[in-house]
Parts: sequence; structure tokens; C-alpha cells
Amino acid sequence: MAAASSSDSDSGRAESSEASSKWLDAHYDPMANIHTFSSCLALADLHGDGEYKLVVGDLGPGGQQPRLKVLKGPTMLTESPLPALPASAATFLMEQHEPRTPALALASGPCVYVYKNLRPYFKFSLPQLPPNPLEQDLWNQAKEDQIDPLTLKEMLEGIREKAEVPLSVQSLRFLQLELSEMEAFVNQHKSRAIKRQTVITTMTTLKKNLADEDAVSCLVLGTENKELLVLDPEAFTILAKMSLPSVPVFLEVSGQFDVEFRLTAACRNGNIYILRRDSKHPKYCIELSAQPVGLVRVHKILVVGSNQDSLHGFTHKGKKLWTVQMPAAILTMNLLEQRSRGLQAVMAALANGEVHIYRDKTLLNVIHTPDAVTSLCFGRYGREDNTLIMTTRGGGLIIKILKRTAVFVEGTGEVGPPLAQATKLSVPRKTRLYVDQTLREREAGIAMHRTFQTDLYLLRLRASRAYVQALESSLSPMSTTTREPLKLHAVVQGLGPTFKLTLHLQNTSTARPVLGLQVCFLYNEALYALPRAFFKVPLLVPGLSYPLETFVESLSRKGISDIIKVLVLREGQSAPLLSAHINMPVSEGLAAA
Amino acid sequence: MAEEKLPSKTQVPASAESQKARQKKAPEFPILEKQNWLIHLHYIRKDYEACKAVIKEQLQETQGLCEYAIYVQALIFRLEGNIQESLELFQTCAILSPQCADNLKQVARSLFLLGKHKAATEVYNEAAKLNQKDWEICHNLGVCYIYLKQFNKAQDHLHSALQLNRHDLTYIMLGKIHLLEGDLHKAIEIYKKAVEFSPENTELLTTLGLLYLQLGVYQKAFEHLGNALTYDPTNYKAILAAGSMMQTHGDFDVALTKYRVVACAVPESPPLWNNIGMCFFGKKKYVAAISCLKRANYLAPFDWKILYNLGLVHLTMQQYASAFHFLSAAINFQPKLGELYMLLAVALTNLEDIENAKRAYAEAVRLDKYKMVEMAQKLGAALQVGEALVWTKPVKDPKSKHRTTSAGKPATLGSNQALGQAMSSAAAFRKLPSGAAGAQLQKPPSLPLEPEPTVEASPAEASGKMREK
Repeated sequence: MAAASSSDSDSGRAESSEASSKWLDAHYDPMANIHTFSSCLALADLHGDGEYKLVVGDLGPGGQQPRLKVLKGPTMLTESPLPALPASAATFLMEQHEPRTPALALASGPCVYVYKNLRPYFKFSLPQLPPNPLEQDLWNQAKEDQIDPLTLKEMLEGIREKAEVPLSVQSLRFLQLELSEMEAFVNQHKSRAIKRQTVITTMTTLKKNLADEDAVSCLVLGTENKELLVLDPEAFTILAKMSLPSVPVFLEVSGQFDVEFRLTAACRNGNIYILRRDSKHPKYCIELSAQPVGLVRVHKILVVGSNQDSLHGFTHKGKKLWTVQMPAAILTMNLLEQRSRGLQAVMAALANGEVHIYRDKTLLNVIHTPDAVTSLCFGRYGREDNTLIMTTRGGGLIIKILKRTAVFVEGTGEVGPPLAQATKLSVPRKTRLYVDQTLREREAGIAMHRTFQTDLYLLRLRASRAYVQALESSLSPMSTTTREPLKLHAVVQGLGPTFKLTLHLQNTSTARPVLGLQVCFLYNEALYALPRAFFKVPLLVPGLSYPLETFVESLSRKGISDIIKVLVLREGQSAPLLSAHINMPVSEGLAAA
Repeated sequence: MAEEKLPSKTQVPASAESQKARQKKAPEFPILEKQNWLIHLHYIRKDYEACKAVIKEQLQETQGLCEYAIYVQALIFRLEGNIQESLELFQTCAILSPQCADNLKQVARSLFLLGKHKAATEVYNEAAKLNQKDWEICHNLGVCYIYLKQFNKAQDHLHSALQLNRHDLTYIMLGKIHLLEGDLHKAIEIYKKAVEFSPENTELLTTLGLLYLQLGVYQKAFEHLGNALTYDPTNYKAILAAGSMMQTHGDFDVALTKYRVVACAVPESPPLWNNIGMCFFGKKKYVAAISCLKRANYLAPFDWKILYNLGLVHLTMQQYASAFHFLSAAINFQPKLGELYMLLAVALTNLEDIENAKRAYAEAVRLDKYKMVEMAQKLGAALQVGEALVWTKPVKDPKSKHRTTSAGKPATLGSNQALGQAMSSAAAFRKLPSGAAGAQLQKPPSLPLEPEPTVEASPAEASGKMREK
């Protein structure tokens, strides 16, 4: 022990640059290829040799190749394929016999696979759920051909609408079918008993009757069927069954099964339910109004991370104690227990690549990681008591060891005014010119004001005049006369020397078509050539926009552009109904040549 | 026992194999919910890409029967802004399991987000039939009724939500209803209860503080704002409100230090730069005041309060032509405020446009008779002292003093966007009496609640100072 502590202090001196950090970097492998959740990580002395191994229920890249991996130190000890994706991994002691090596349980689909000494030992399957009796009756009738597929379908639909017990997959699939396929489906499947199977969503362990660290534990399973099951550690029979209002996602337990225990289940409806030994239904309920992303019990306080980037503390009766906002989304959470100093804290891995460690609402430590951590656990690994194991989004593995000298001190975080208070305000500067202008305004303010007012009036006058003139000479592209309400706009396309000029003429009246209109172009004939400078417009149906196209050839080789005037006239009248001035672009084709 | 298990242990891999084999022979049906847990875990850690991949796989395997996969897909669509698609998927879920209130709740939520509040209430009512005791349904129904402007119904639903389970959000909504109805006292009652229920919610504390501020209960306002700041020293709403209170007390330096935090958090907040500008104004750093106010005006060109302050500062700087522009712009946005016309009249007087100045005064009197009389009384002394020459100047000076204080106030109001609208009109007027204590700006801090004595002194002092310039 003395040797160990001295070597530790040596390493402390050697890494003086990292002296401020409480962690030693033991191992980092960005290519470890481990993709998993915190619930699928477990640390246990699997061989009873005092050397703790890491068990990983690995989902594989993209959730494709589920594997059971066992790591010893930084190296992979064994790796074996799994039949389905693991939902949860746990280690527990099954019986009192020596040697006391823990068994490993992997929950996957509807089964729990139990391994001893890393060899398959037992497979527990969830019992079949009772099928709906009405549905059963219907299929029995179908079997004896007493009922035709159509009636079967109607009856099944009736059950689906009302029944408490949901239909089996077989019936649901049948309801999806087309009329023609039904017959065959019924013939194929009618002889089979209908089944309803559920799957395990989460798993944890609960001490059987002793509180000791190495006491026998029961498995606690949460199922998709909104139930919690407690299994006997030896016979794998169901000792207790409790129902929840929603599907459990995370479980947290305390106490012993035979004495008194408390089960906390965070569920998919965003609520957290607390159950006790003698209750078949939840005793307390915490409504989060967000999805829980992690559930950790620290002493008597439940710490819940929500997907709204916050950490909440609740009493074991569901009363809210505190809330802390996180700088980023929480990805996963777990308990940090430093037994030698009696410290329990919560680790929360955040999406910004940090791991925050909290005791109650005070931040104890922040670990920066090269990639976002997606699963983590803390405990004895190898022969080192306080090891933190993290896997990252990219499949990397990080192992850190807490220095034996490290003490987490509260209040190292922010106290007093926030940092931002020290930064200076960036008040915009004013120039010398501004000051001069100010002085000038003071001297000649009255004159400036008067000049400005005079100019403003003149501007307004000019604008009104131009407006009146435009109205009088129908220069606007909108005709407001009641007889011919028209709208015109023009588009010029092309780079030149030939342009395409499109006029969009619209009759904006509600009901009356317009007939007998003509379009005339006025332009400088030295500059432009149009195939037709004058043409008739077809009947204009109200509301539709009529595109009238014509080509314009630019004749000038000097890059000059001019205005083309478009006049819309009524037959037999000299005053135009409306007009538009089109600013022709410079012919780029010529300019380039 | 152990012997029994021995044969079974070899079965573990074997049975898995045989299961697979059987699947290929006859169409064994996959368990629909097989990967729901995985979808959920990906969803809550916001790994939407992985989530979508699993959903796709699951839906293919179950031929679209897996309800939870569709449900989460819809949730993701909604988060991505494709509300219409999400609505359709939720409706599919509701068909797959019609007994589930949750699906209906989500359908209603999507309808709500699409702005179809009426339809949403119908669906929520439907869901309420399936699940009587759901806090969320009651709360959301209440919110829908708020949007439908049926405040009584909304209140009923929100109160029943509170009875089922208390949430901060419900309190906030209830408070909002009272504010919309213009009932400040009731709103304060609600927020008081809310703060009792969750004493560390800074949003509740800040809002309550602002409401007290509006009622002129400064002690309590400061208490709550202070509490909010202890829990969250970077809460910019609380800082702005507390800062503006400090400004009215003349603690410009303290207020400016506090504003630094806000300047870091929301550097583009118009009320912030307005308040900073008025701090500098109080400290007689007029150029800095103008540049800050101009920034505020750049950020919120349609905010008349900022224009008003700009006009005021320019008047002080004797830049009457500029002042005229800012004031006339302010009047364009807020044509019903007598004080604006008074300021405009002062500017016009100085621009020797007596005709228009008279008209502006007349308009001010028309809008705000009471205040003009009050002002005239206060001016009495100054007017008697001066001859014709003095006349023009003192007039504007006292006025500007009053502006100064009231100027600080609108800033306060503007600081809380949510409440600002509801508060602004009431407060702008309310503040003037205490605002008349504006002389404090120039004098060492004194209590704001006894304005009269200081006011008597202020005009003379103020005008003297102006002449110095």
C-alpha cells in the first residue's frame, strides 16, 4: 500500500503539467470500435481472480453486428457474436457457493442470456402474453372454416377499436391485406396458435436479502409490455410482477427484495414512477414534461437528466429539489462512487464533448474528451479502484484513472460575478468629423433645419407632380380605367445582339373580357430592329396573364442601349391605355466581339 | 436444480440458430416492438440519423406495423419542421391503436403547431375522454383556448391542470392570460403562487419582479429580481430590469457594470443599448450616449422609446435640427403621447419655428392636459425669474429633465419583450410622477418615492447647468 501511494506521488510529480487534473490518462483508442450504451457496460471480477474485467454488450457499427466483448486492461479478452442486439448487461451473484464468481446477464429481445465463466449457462425467455380471448375464438372458428375472411376481418377490426388487450401480430398483418390475399393467408396461418410476445427494454439488479456488496442479487427486468419483473437468481422464476403506465427506459433500485425496496422507473411518456415492495402500481409519479435521458440515484436523491439539457434533483417521494442547466444536450449519465472518500456524484456526458461531474447541484469537475461520450461507467477495473471508462460516438474507448490524491472540492466552479462582467463594453467610437458636424449643427441649426424643410417640400412637390403626370398620360403600366383594367410588365431575356422581349399583359377585371387591343413599340430605328412594331392583342380573358413575345435585334456596335416604349392602345383611339418604358440592356454579345 | 440447467446451457446458441432457421421456413412474425427501446434511446440522445436508420429497418421488417417507430419518425419530422408530414404519421399511429391517448395528444400538438387551434381543441377533448387525469391535455387545451381568445375556458382548463399536477409552465400561461386581460394584480397572485411552488425558477422570479416594477412596488420588485440574479447571474432580463432600477436611483456605474454581462450574452439587444445610452446620459457623457442610442436605434428602428431618448439627448446637446428629426420619427410611431409633442415643441422653439411650436404645444395640451398644468406649476418659479430671453431656454430644460427619468423607464419596459407590450402604455404614464423626481439623476441618489421636494429644486438647477454648456 505504501509502495503504491509513493509511486502515485511520483507520477504526480512527473506529470506536473497535468497536476491540476484529477485524472490520469490510462488509455485512449479512437479505433476501439465499441458502439454501445451505458446500460450495456458492466465491470466485474468474472474469473474470481481479483482482476476486474469490462463487459461490453456491443451493438456494432450501425447496430448491425451485436457482439459480447470482454476487455482486460486495454486489450480485448474475448469476443463472441450475439443473436440479437443487447438492451442491457448486468453482472450479479447467483448463489452463495464458493468460488464467488459473478454471473453475467445480457438482456436481448425477449430473452436474458446468462453466462458463467463467460460460457453460456442459461437462457430465460419472457413468458408469452395471454392473447385476446375474442381473437383466439375468431381464429379457432377460422380454423374450422366456420367464418369467411371478410367477417373475420370485420370482427378483428371491432376488437382493435375497443379491446384492452391488443391484437397479435398475425391479426394485425391480416388486417393490412387486400381482399384477394386474405384467403391464402387464413389457410396458411389458421392452424397456428396466436402468440403475443414482448421484449425486454431495460434490466438492473436488486439485492436479494443482504445489503452486502457481494450479496446474491435478483434481476429486475422492464418490458415493452409496461411491466417490471423481478427474477429469482437461482431458479429464474418470476418473483414479483408490477405494472407501469408506460414503457420503462431506465431503472434504478435500492434496498433488498426480501426486506424493503424501492424501484424507480423512468418511462417513455416522460414520467418517472416510484414503486415500493408492497405496491403493484406506482406510488409516486414525477412528471418531467420532457424525456428523461438518464436516471441515477445518489444517496437518497434521484438525479434525472432531461432532453431539455437540464439536470433535476428529486427526493425519493418525487418532490423537486433543484435544477441545473447544462451547456449542451446530455447523452448519457452514470454514478461515480469513490468509496475511499465516501463520495457519490453524477457523471453526465454532454454532446459538446465534455463530461460534467455533479454532486447535488454543484459542479465538481469537467473532463474534456476528444469526441462526444456516448456511454460511461465508473468503478473497479483491473486492480485499480477508481477507473472511469468511456466510449465515444465514433467507437473510441477512453480509460481514465482517478488519482488517489484527488479530492473533489465543492465551489471550485463559478462564485461571484460572472466572467462577462469583467469585459469592457464596446461603445461605438465617434470620429473627429462627427464632433465637427455637431458643432456646425449647433451654430447653424436653424438654417440647416430650414433648408432641409424647404428641400423636403420641394421633393414632395416634385414627386406629386410626376405622379399626376404619369396618371394623366397613362405612363404607368397599370390601367385604372373602369372599362379596361389592365396590367403590363415586361421581361427582357438574352445577352444580345438578339434579345427576347416578353410582355405579360393581364386583364385585371373580374368578369369582363377585353377585345380589340393593339400593342405598339416606339424605338430608335438606328439602334434596334423589331420584326413587327405593331400587332393586335388576342381577346384577354380576365385574370390570365398573356405572354406576348417578340425579338429585338440590337443594331449598334458601340455598346449603346436605349429605351423601348411599349404602348397598349384601343382600336380607334390615339391616347394609349397604358405604356411602359423598357430599359434595354447593353448587348454583351457585341461588346465581346 | 443445477443438473436441470446443464442441458439448457448448451441450448443458448443452439436455440438462437434454430429460431433463425424456422424464420426462413414458414413466415414467422417478427415481434413488432423488438427495437423500440433502441429507437427510443437514439431519440432521447438526439442522434436522429441513427434513429431514422433503425426506424426504417424496423418498418421494413414489420411492413409498417410498428407503431412506435412511426411515432418517433413523426416526432423527428416535427422537430425538423415538417409538421404536416408528422401530423399524417401521428394520424396513422392513431389508426393503429385507437385506444391510445398519447397518439391523439400528438395529433393535437401538430395541429396546434400548424395554427389550427380549433381542430386541436377537438382532438384534445377526444384524448381527454381516453385519459381523464392527464395534466398535459388540460394544460394544452388551456393554451389552445388562449389562442382562440376564450380566456374563461382557458383559465378553467389551466386550473384543472394545476389540480392534477403543478408545473411552472401552467402558472406562466395563467399569468399570461391575466396580463392579456390587463389584470396585473391577479397576474401577480398567480406568479406569487408559482414562485412559492418553484422558488428557483428565474423566469418566474424575473416576471414577478417586472410586474411589481410596473406597479411601482420597487422594494419587492428589486427583491425578486435580485433573487433571480442569485440563481442565474447571467439572466439578462433580470439584469436589464434591475439595471434600469439602479439608473432611476442614479447608480449609473453599477448599472453599467451589470450591463456588461448582458452585452456579452445578447449584444444585439435594443433595450440594452438604450439603457446603456441613458446611463451615459446620466453621467453626462453625451457623445457616448448618442452612439449607444444610435446603435439601439439601428437594431430597432421602429422603437419610439429609443427615438424619444435620442431626441432628448440631442436637445441637450443643442442639436435641435437632429432632435427634431428623431422626435418627429417617434411621433410617427407613437402619435398619442403628449410628452413627445412637448419635446418637439421645445425643438421647434429653438429652431425659431414659432408657428409649429405653438401647434405642437397645443397638441400636447390636448393629449395630456393634466400633465401640462403640473408642468406649468413647476415651471412657475423659473418663468417668473426670466425675461423674454430666458423664456425659451428654461422651458426646454425642465422638460428634458422629466424626459430623462421617464426615459430610463421605457427602457425598463422594453427590456422584457414578453411583458413589454402589455406594460408599455400603462407604464409610460404611470412612471411620470415618480419620474418627475428626475432631478435625482443629477443629484446624489435619493429615495424615488418622495418626488415633490426635489422637483421644486430641479428646474433652476437644471437650467443653470444647461446654460453652462
